Formats: sequence, structure tokens, C-alpha cells
Amino acid sequence: MLTADKGRLASISEYGRPGQLRRLLLFVWQCWKLNLAGAMEFRLSFLLTAGMMVINNVVWIVFWGLYFRRFPVLNGWELRDVMMLWAVAAGGFGVMATLFGNAPRIANLVATGQLDVYLSQPKPVLLHVLISRMSVSAIGDVLFALMIYAAFGDKSVAGIVKFALAMALSTLIFIFFTVISGCLAFWLGNTEGLSFQLFNALLTFTTYPTGIFRGLGKLVLFTVIPAGFISYLPIGLLRQVDVPFLLGAVAVTVLLCLGGVRLFYSGLRRYASGNMISLRR
Amino acid sequence: MTALGKSVKYVFIGKITLRNQLAYVADFLVRSLFLLLILYIFLQLWRTTFQGEGTELIAGYSFKQIMWYLVVTEAMTLACPSLCTRIEEEVKSGDVAFKLVRPISFIAFHYVEYMSEAAIRFAVNAVLGGALGLLVIGPPAFGAGLLWLPVAAFGGFTVNFTVNMTLALSAFWVEETRGLEFVYHKFLFTIGGMLMPLELFPEALQRIGHWLPLQAIVYIPAKTAVAFDWTRLPAMLATQAFWIAVFGLIAVFVYRKGVKRLNVNGG
Repeated sequence: MLTADKGRLASISEYGRPGQLRRLLLFVWQCWKLNLAGAMEFRLSFLLTAGMMVINNVVWIVFWGLYFRRFPVLNGWELRDVMMLWAVAAGGFGVMATLFGNAPRIANLVATGQLDVYLSQPKPVLLHVLISRMSVSAIGDVLFALMIYAAFGDKSVAGIVKFALAMALSTLIFIFFTVISGCLAFWLGNTEGLSFQLFNALLTFTTYPTGIFRGLGKLVLFTVIPAGFISYLPIGLLRQVDVPFLLGAVAVTVLLCLGGVRLFYSGLRRYASGNMISLRR
Repeated sequence: MTALGKSVKYVFIGKITLRNQLAYVADFLVRSLFLLLILYIFLQLWRTTFQGEGTELIAGYSFKQIMWYLVVTEAMTLACPSLCTRIEEEVKSGDVAFKLVRPISFIAFHYVEYMSEAAIRFAVNAVLGGALGLLVIGPPAFGAGLLWLPVAAFGGFTVNFTVNMTLALSAFWVEETRGLEFVYHKFLFTIGGMLMPLELFPEALQRIGHWLPLQAIVYIPAKTAVAFDWTRLPAMLATQAFWIAVFGLIAVFVYRKGVKRLNVNGG
């Protein structure tokens, strides 16, 4: 390489220059925009897929509506609490799958050697992996969550702030629990099935009131599969702020975030490329 | 060819499908973990509900009956193959051309394949769900219901096949049918009585449910098993037979119309 080329490259590269965070945010924004543009390419399919997810969730709302019509209180939970449970769970899952849609595919990407393409690009690997995919149907989940909140939620300023906090905690728990379960593939080989089952268990448990579980079941929900920190939010944060629970939920969320990032980069050191030629999808 | 000769072909198709499916029993077992998860959650839900109500019976069902009802409905629902996915793929890829030129009925071929697959999956789900039920809920008091369950389940799977086939055949016009199937499943979950017996619904919804074919799919088999009643059995089986005849005829009609306008490129 000529010295003249080096000079030109230095002027093209923005590495080490101020404004790194701004550039990173711009990169994330551009990725999301392109993902959405890709989804909108098949507009009818996009609308149908998102609409079907709303219908899917509405069926559960109908179920709970029928249930609470027959049994008005379920161990302290009322219809409004279960509706907010669905808003927080579907919303958290929806935001994860819409904006960080590659999280459930990490085990597959690791096992099939498809991380190479992310490693070769000058961006934070985990962030780049997560934002590279958007689940179109999950947009329906986000819309559904907002609709349920509009119908049943507390629309005061404090209510909106609490709902936003609940959504943030739910989204982060979903993202980083999914990342951690996907990272098992770095150590255990192809864990696609196991990672999916763990993710599915979290998703399923978050949509049922914690009030129905007891003993070992309840212990699992607040430890191995931290669904309880999402599904108790309608009671412990939205209905009335339960400080010990809220502090616990925040601490667990922070722990999952830090643990997820650390686990991913530790695993990345063990990652062996399959020399597969692939494109970023 | 005699009628016997013709039916032998379908027996062999069924046998081959069964053999194919038996190769994946281990895979089914792993996938059936979801069944156990759902049953565990419903176990907790109904236990809490019964304790909250403080009664032995809710809408005529005991706790044990509701749980065994759910074992049957969930095992059946998770055993049903997706016919829309299969036929949609056949139409899109052009593979349907190979099916149409064979000297067999297109609908009968899919029926035999569907029922064989459903039988294996239902057996696996029933064993797993039954094991969980025996361990956690305790033995059911099915009585004669246990003997009639296979008959009612056979009827339920057949009704489901005819309705699904009618939806799937619309692929000859619209190609994308999975959305229709998805919405249909959601109706089956609720007003079809998969998530809870129809008796727990409000009066008006119960009446609507009894006029729909959906009750014949999982509600009738599950009700037959857990709350067997000799006097109601003929009416229940007749309901299934009626819907099989209605949707069977609709499926044949739709197939005849659709196959004339099918244009296969490639395949």
C-alpha cells in the first residue's frame, strides 16, 4: 500500500474520531429503517402477518374475558391486571422481536458458523447481530400492547411512566435471557432446540398471572426462567409500586444485561468459523 | 379395479405414513415438552380457581375432570398436522401436479396421510399427557368414556380434516392459506372448547358453540372421555357425522371447482 493511500484511508475512516456514540446510534437507526423497508416491500403480507398476531393475542384476551366473567377474582388478580400483564408481556416480546429480532437466532448463527459476517465488520458484534433482523409479526404484538394499554391502562402521567418502565424491563429481560440461552451454543454445540425451549418457556410463563403458581413453580419463575419479573409487573409496579419487588426486578434486569453481554463475548472467543460464505441477512 | 383393490392402495399409503412418522417419535417427544408446559400451567390455573371458588364442581366438572378434559383437547390439538401448509407448498412448488396424475383420489390420499400422522402424534401426546395426569392429578374416572374416546377422537380428527381441507383447497385460488388456517385455529381454541369446556361459557356463546362444527373437533371427544353419558353419546356422534358429511361435500365441491382452474408451472 502506498503512503498516499494510507493518508486517503485515514481520511475515510472515522475510527477514533469524536462522535462515536452518535455514529453508532445512526448505524442502529439505519439498520432498523432498512429492516422495516425490507418488510414493507411485501406490504400486503406485512399487514396480514402483523394483523394475524393481533388476532392471536385477541383470542387470549377473549379467553381471559370469559374466564373473569365466570370467576371475577383469581387469587387477587382481576381482569384489568391480566390485561396489563398481556400488554407488558406482548409489548416486551414485540419490541425485542421487532428491533432486536435476531436474539432468538443466536444459537443457530453460532452453530452454523454464520457469525463470520458480523465479525468482519467494524461494529459491536452483539449489537450488530441483534439489530440485523426484524420480525414483522412482532409489530402486531407492539400494536396490540398499545391497544390494550389504551383500553385498560392508567393514562395519567404517572401511569404512562410506570408503563414505560414496565415495558423497558420486560424488553430487556426478553432480549438478554434469549441472548444467554442462545450463547449456550458456544459451549454445548447445536443447542437450537434447547435454546428455543427455554425462550418458549419464558414467553409462555410471562402470559399467566404469577398468582396461580406456588412452591417450586414460583421459585423457578423468579430464578431459572425469570418470567415472574415480567408477569408480576402489573401488580408490583402498575397497580401499586412494591419497592422490594421493583428493586429486585431492576437488579435482575441489570444482571441479565451484564451477564448476557459477558457471556456472548466469552463465547465468541471459543467461536470457530465454518468458513461459510454468507451475507448479512 | 374393484372397491377392495382401491381401498388397499389407501391402506398402504396409511402404512407408509405411519412408518415414516414412527421414525420421528423421539423428535415428537421433544416437541411434546410444550404440551407438558401448557398442562402444568393449566393445572396451576384450575387448582387456584377451584380453591378460590371453594366448590367441588364448576359447571358440572370436578377439578380432575377439567384437567383430564384439557389433557385430551391439548393432546388432540397438538397432534393435528398443518394441512394448509402442506397443500400451499404443493401448489406453490408445482408438486401438486405429481399428486393429481396419480391413480388415487387427491382428497383421500391427504386424508389417509393426515389421519396416520395424527394417530401417531395423538398417541405420543396422550402417553405424555396421561403420564403427567396420573402423576399429578391422579387416575381419571373415564369408565366407558375411555372405550369411546378413540371413536370420538377419530370423528374429531375427521371433522378437522374436512374443514382444514376446505380451507387448504382455497390455495388453488389464493395460494396463501395459512392466514385462514391461523384464524380458524383461534376459533377452535376459544369457541371450539379447547381452552375450557363450553359449559363454562356464557349462555349465548354456548348456544352459538353448539351450532358450529368446531364443537365436534375436540369438545365432543374430551367430553365423551371425562363425562361419559350413554344417553348423549348417539347425539354427539351424529353431530360429528353430520359435520363430516357437510364439510366432506364442500371439500369435494371446492376441489372439483379448483382443480379445473389450476395452472401448474414447473414442479
